[in-house]
Parts: sequence; C-alpha cells; structure tokens
Amino acid sequence: MIKNRNLINHYPYKMRMLLFVCIIGLGNITSGTAQELLNVLDQEYPDTPQYELATFKGSRISIGHSVENRRKGVLDIVHMQRYWNIPNATTQNFIADKLNARVALEYGITDRLTFGAGGSTLDGIFDSFLKYQLVRQRRDHKGFPLSITLFQNGSYKSKRITKGTEDWSDRLAFTTQLLMARKFSPNLSLQIAPTLIHRNTQLLEQDPQTQFAIGFGGRYKLDGHVAIVSEYYYVANPLESRTTYGAFALGVNWEVKNLLLQFQLTNARNMVEDAFITQTINNFNFEDGNFVFGANATVSIQLFNKKQKDTK
Amino acid sequence: MNKILVFLLLFLGLCSFEAAEPPEQYITRQGQISFFSYASAENIDAQNNQVLSILDVSTNQIAVSMLMNGFRFKKSLMHMHFNESYMESDLYPKATFEGRISDLDIPLASEQTRLIKGVLTIRDIKKEVDIKTVITHVDTDTYVLEGNFEVSIKDFDIKVPPVLEPNIAKTIAIKFRFEYQPYEK
Repeated sequence: MIKNRNLINHYPYKMRMLLFVCIIGLGNITSGTAQELLNVLDQEYPDTPQYELATFKGSRISIGHSVENRRKGVLDIVHMQRYWNIPNATTQNFIADKLNARVALEYGITDRLTFGAGGSTLDGIFDSFLKYQLVRQRRDHKGFPLSITLFQNGSYKSKRITKGTEDWSDRLAFTTQLLMARKFSPNLSLQIAPTLIHRNTQLLEQDPQTQFAIGFGGRYKLDGHVAIVSEYYYVANPLESRTTYGAFALGVNWEVKNLLLQFQLTNARNMVEDAFITQTINNFNFEDGNFVFGANATVSIQLFNKKQKDTK
Repeated sequence: MNKILVFLLLFLGLCSFEAAEPPEQYITRQGQISFFSYASAENIDAQNNQVLSILDVSTNQIAVSMLMNGFRFKKSLMHMHFNESYMESDLYPKATFEGRISDLDIPLASEQTRLIKGVLTIRDIKKEVDIKTVITHVDTDTYVLEGNFEVSIKDFDIKVPPVLEPNIAKTIAIKFRFEYQPYEK
C-alpha cells in the first residue's frame, strides 16, 4: 500500500491526476453487466397496483360465501349436497336417510359483480343473490389491507311456514353480509363476515324478525390444488321458539382444472344463508341426526372467450 | 518498469472511457412474451405484453424482467390457476433473464441471427440457456429482437398433479418479440 503511494508520489501532479482518472475509469468496465441491467429494469416497473389473486378459490369457503367473485363472462354451475341420518331410526336407506340438494347458476356480470340463483330440495327454498366486490386487497402493501365484498340475497321458502294463510311475500327472507377477508400469506386467508338476516314472517311471536350474526372462516392451502377450510357462524340474537346452534364446517377443497370440489363435515343441513346461519337446530358432533356430510361441486365455464385486458 | 505500469493503466483507462461513452442502452417496456402448452387434452396459450427488457449494444448484454401475473389467458380461471397453483406468483412474482449476445456486430448492416447465452430465472431457479434470436435494426433508433425457445417445466420444479398431466405439456414453447428504443434515464 505504502509502496503504491510512493509510486504515485513519484510522478508529477498531472500524471497523478491521469492515474486517478484511469483508476476511476476502470470501475466503468464493470457497468453494463446483465445483473446491473436487471437492477435498472427493477426501477422501470410501472407503479400499477398489484392486487391479491384468489384469497379463496371458490365463491364459497365451504358452506358460506367468500369474498371471491367470478370474473366477467364466467358461469359457475353449482351442485351442493348435504347428507344426514335420522336419529334412532331403523331405516334401510342407501348411504344416508336424508338428502338436501341445491342446484345453482352463478354468473360474473363484471369482474366485480356476480349474480346467482338456485333452488334446494329441503323446504323448497329458492334463492338468488348479488355479490359486489367493494375493495380489493393489494399485494404491494399499499392501499387497503382487506378485500371487502357486499353480499345480498333473497330467498323464498315454498314450504308453509305457519298454519295460517300466508302471502307470497311472507315467505321471503333476506340476508346482507359484509364479507371481509385478508390473505395473510400465500397459504393462509381469513374472513370475518358481519351478517344481518331479516325474515318477513316469524314462526312464533317472540322470535326476532331481524337477526345479527357474525361469520368466521379460514383457509389453509396444503399445495397448489388442495386446501383445508373451516367456518363458524355466531348468532347474536338466536330464535326463542327453539334451540339453535352456530353453523360449523370443517372441510377440504380440491380443485382440478375448472372443477372445484368442496367436501365438508358440518351441522348445517341447509345451504341458503338465512336458513343455515340462524336455523341450524343441531350442534356439531358425530351423532346420527347431528352430523351432516356435505359436498359441493362447481364447474366453471368461460362463456365469453375474450382475452383478459392488461391492467392499466 | 514504472513507465510500463503507467502505460498499462492508461491503456486500461482508455478502454474504460470507451465503455463509459454515452450509454448505448436500449429499452422496451412493452415487450411481448407468449407461451404455448400443446398437450393431448387441451392447448393453453397466454401472452404478456408488459415485459421489460434492456439491451446494451456496447457490451452486448441483455436483461429481461417480467411479472408472472402479467400473462393474459383466454380463460380467467386459467390466469388464476397459473399464478396460484403452478407458478406461485405470490412467492415468485418475477421471471428474469440475463445474458450476452455472441458476436454481435454493431452497427447492424442487415438482419442477423445470433445466439444469446444466459441464465433464465423462474421461481428463483436458475437455468443456463442458449436462445437463438433474430436481430434487426429497423431504423436508427430501433432494434428488434425476435425468437423462440423451449423450457421444460421439470427444470423449474413446476408441479403438476397426476390427474392433470394430460392437460399440461412437459415442454413449453416460448416466443418473444422486443422492440427497443434508446434508453433515457
């Protein structure tokens, strides 16, 4: 080191400057390597917002709706089933005593708005819903940390509710949900859903006509195609006329291509929001009559084969 | 002895001055990369029109960078599956390439076919690749690079469940086209 300095000092000032410039110049040779070019490119990315993809994969976590909407032009054909046994029955039914099946169509009107309608066999409930995504969680940790979707449904129960004469409108019930979810990691997503349910007719006078509930749901992805999901609904002012329990589900979601299969162990026999959230009359355990096995199959079809647009 | 050293340094310095001249860098922000998977059950193709690339004609170095979720599919569900189930874009948002064009003569008299040797990085897995490219100098300010190559999904540890094997090709054909303009910092 000292030897070098002596060497430099040996030359007149001009020469030293030249040397200095040369040495600085040497540094420039390394510029323009591919790695440095990549660093340049990293600065060149436009500042377009990056949104989280797929907080959940299906429009339902397991039994209840998730924040997810289908994209524009996608039609979902949904078939849901629930099986359970009658307690203490000496029946000879194949697999299960009772079955409730729901068939529904759900269509993405825009990327944020989904419309769906379906019918279930138990109590003959027909339902339709609109789901609108208000806020999308951003991946780049800017903006709002949650995805928020507004859900509104209306259902019509074709089975008689009371013995008296009823109007058509007396059989209607409405559910409003504010679905709020966050994707915490690529694998873990959690959802909380304040819910308001209004029924036009109560079974008994003392039953509340409007009920509040709050839903909790989560998913943990095991790999690209399989996830474990769970949900629980807590009702703040349950029915007075009979004992009800919070709907619970523990399930597995499996997805292959455009088919989403959701299997669940649950206590909810119904599949329409107002019915299963507030009118689940059995608690979750494995006794006959309480235990319900469920399966949802959703096939997604892209009706309009228009290429996706670039985000601007 | 000292004189020789000075001349050597001077020489090196001059070389570096050449490299430090007004940057001979060209950039594209709308590069196009598309991929095709030809499998027995279905064909899948997607295109990314927002690929970034920079070309340094003084050193013949080239770098490419893109967001995996920038690929656009015919079906929106495919976009979700591609990012969520296969590429894991949450964990590995970008794919990059860094390389060097062999024997590139600038200025280009006519269309040239050259080999780019470099490293392709997808899902944080690096793989050395040689890519044949056609370089054209469209006008004084524009260079166009075009070409195609293939990658094996195995090389980048992309897992396909057995039930979906007929749907996804083992080698994916990739096509690219970059139109470069002078880079102003």
